Amino acid sequence: MEKRRHWIAPVLIGILLVGAIAWGYNLYTINERYATALDNHYQRLFHDVKSHVENVQVGLSKALVATSKERNILLFSQIMTDANFAQDKLGQMPISHADIANTEKFLAQAADYSYFLIQKHLDGKDISPEEREALWSLQENSAMFNGELARLHDSMAESGYIYEAAAVFSKKDRNVNDKNEFQTSLTNLESHVGKTPELIYDGPFADQIINKKPEGLGNKKVSMEDAARIARDFIGGNKSTRIEAFEQGEDIDELRIPAYTFHLFQGNQKNDLPIYAGVSKKGGKLIWMANPRPIGKEDVSIKDAEKLALDYLKKHGFENMEPNYSLKYDGHILFNFAYKEDDITIYPDLIKVKVALDTGEIISFDASAYYLNHKDRKLDTPKISAEEARERLRTKFDIDSTRLALIPKGKNEILCYEFKGKYKDADFIIYINALDGKEEQILQLIHNENGTLTF
Amino acid sequence: MSKKKKNILRVMVLLVLVLGIIQLYEPKTMIDTVNKYGMAFAPRTLYWGVTGQDVRVVQDKLLRWQYYDGQVDGIYGARTYRAVRRFQEKNGLKVDGVVGPSTASAMGISASAAPAGSTQGVSRSADEYLLARTIHGEARGEPYIGKVAVGAVVLNRTKSPSFPNTIAGVVYQPLAFTAVADGQINLTPNKDSINAARDALNGWDPTYGCLYYWNPATATSKWIWSRKVTLKIGKHWFGI
Repeated sequence: MEKRRHWIAPVLIGILLVGAIAWGYNLYTINERYATALDNHYQRLFHDVKSHVENVQVGLSKALVATSKERNILLFSQIMTDANFAQDKLGQMPISHADIANTEKFLAQAADYSYFLIQKHLDGKDISPEEREALWSLQENSAMFNGELARLHDSMAESGYIYEAAAVFSKKDRNVNDKNEFQTSLTNLESHVGKTPELIYDGPFADQIINKKPEGLGNKKVSMEDAARIARDFIGGNKSTRIEAFEQGEDIDELRIPAYTFHLFQGNQKNDLPIYAGVSKKGGKLIWMANPRPIGKEDVSIKDAEKLALDYLKKHGFENMEPNYSLKYDGHILFNFAYKEDDITIYPDLIKVKVALDTGEIISFDASAYYLNHKDRKLDTPKISAEEARERLRTKFDIDSTRLALIPKGKNEILCYEFKGKYKDADFIIYINALDGKEEQILQLIHNENGTLTF
Repeated sequence: MSKKKKNILRVMVLLVLVLGIIQLYEPKTMIDTVNKYGMAFAPRTLYWGVTGQDVRVVQDKLLRWQYYDGQVDGIYGARTYRAVRRFQEKNGLKVDGVVGPSTASAMGISASAAPAGSTQGVSRSADEYLLARTIHGEARGEPYIGKVAVGAVVLNRTKSPSFPNTIAGVVYQPLAFTAVADGQINLTPNKDSINAARDALNGWDPTYGCLYYWNPATATSKWIWSRKVTLKIGKHWFGI
């Protein structure tokens, strides 16, 4: 009996040991497989980025030599594709954003700038000397980028995994001083690219467009006390309304719309849901407010809701607003209103109003787009008639409605005829320039039960 | 001797069993994620807050099988949510209250009838759900406005040249969000996070265009403090 017991314990330990080793080995191989797969992916991204950037550089050099617009359009479209790919793939690499922000921006703007030049060529215009200068500086940057990538490539052949080279998974709290080759190289590039002058052009990623300042606010400076009063008056609170401002940082005035942001507590209970509101520091306008309260049973029709929203806008001094699009979800409905002047729909001046369908209360208001864009405009008179514009459309396009509209295009606004209609069972909105008849924009409508999306 | 042999045999069998179990143990999380969030996109994933004909179909089925006691109104609310959970529990599915491909097929619902034509399969709901998961992973302890603000930062990044240009590109950018790195993004978002994602997509930006946010208590990168600090919402500082 006793002999047998002596025998069991070592065997059990043996089994456990063998089991543990097998388990550990299994985990190790799985881990190895994952590591290799991940590294292969990063290797691919790195090599892709390298060849895309090479293509960008070569393309830019060729574009500086080429003389015909046709050749340039082809070159620029290639540059655009390669720069977009390079940016996309660089963003997937295991590198911290701080090390590549400017480089990504350079690639995005190179693509954007190419698109801008393509449009310019298609309009029959030539590249100006300043634009040649800009192309030259883009070319220099991409050449430098190329050099750094080649250097990295050589050093990477020696070190093992690329993500170890990038040193991102090894240490949590990375010291600024112990940067490895990968980071040093990228940081060099970052600071170099960061120093190149701003590209001046018209496209969504241009600095002037990103840093656009609001036009519709005026210059009067407002104190925080006044702003709090403006917010309370707008929301219709009484004396007992408790107002708290959000804490501000030192650079608050560098925001696109510098503003005071408030909580407003209507009741006295501590756990009361607040209403939020933002009031601009310049001009003291209420930019937005939101009341994210729970919503009860639907009791208000969409038609009534629209009227309530319009009345609300009138009450707060927004005349001539026209509902364009609505989206119903979660017991409320969101209306997009555009400003209307001389029977022209001004799309940039947009206000969003959300109505709760239980009581018809306005639970959200957002006029940030309106205040960014609204100004006194000198509207052009159309140079071509609606009939002439219609002739530019595809023959089988069934038109449901036609009107004049002002749409944003880069930093400009252009007057267009807006044609809403159908082509082969799909809904589109087509914009034809009312001055020169150019097809400026095509939107496709996507329907769902609750609203319509425009793409 | 024969007893000893028997014992050895037993030990061998046990060993084989243990090893067998170990070999069979392969993490299935990837496949689960794909199933759960319907990354194949074909049928729409239904969750709390969505409305539509497909929700009606689900409610109708659940009503007939007596999981559901509410109205067939096409609104995925609390009752539908609980009914779906009961259904999943009964049928050995993952109990998350979301009708993804596996739950849908267990109910016998084939791919949803998306409208044919040139807009087939185009919808915003995949982006919306991804954004809701990001918000849930990053800011579920924040007040509502803090959740919208996190969603707004993701959307502002898609419009900035220094960041990727798609929601997925921004969310999954390596080292960008801790909730992505540690897998919290795969938690099922609650109603608040889904609403916040919708509000952000519909244009509410309480940050006025900010591109960064950080929690001063947990932020490890010194670099983040070199950003321009603008305002504080909940526990997060926002900056450009």
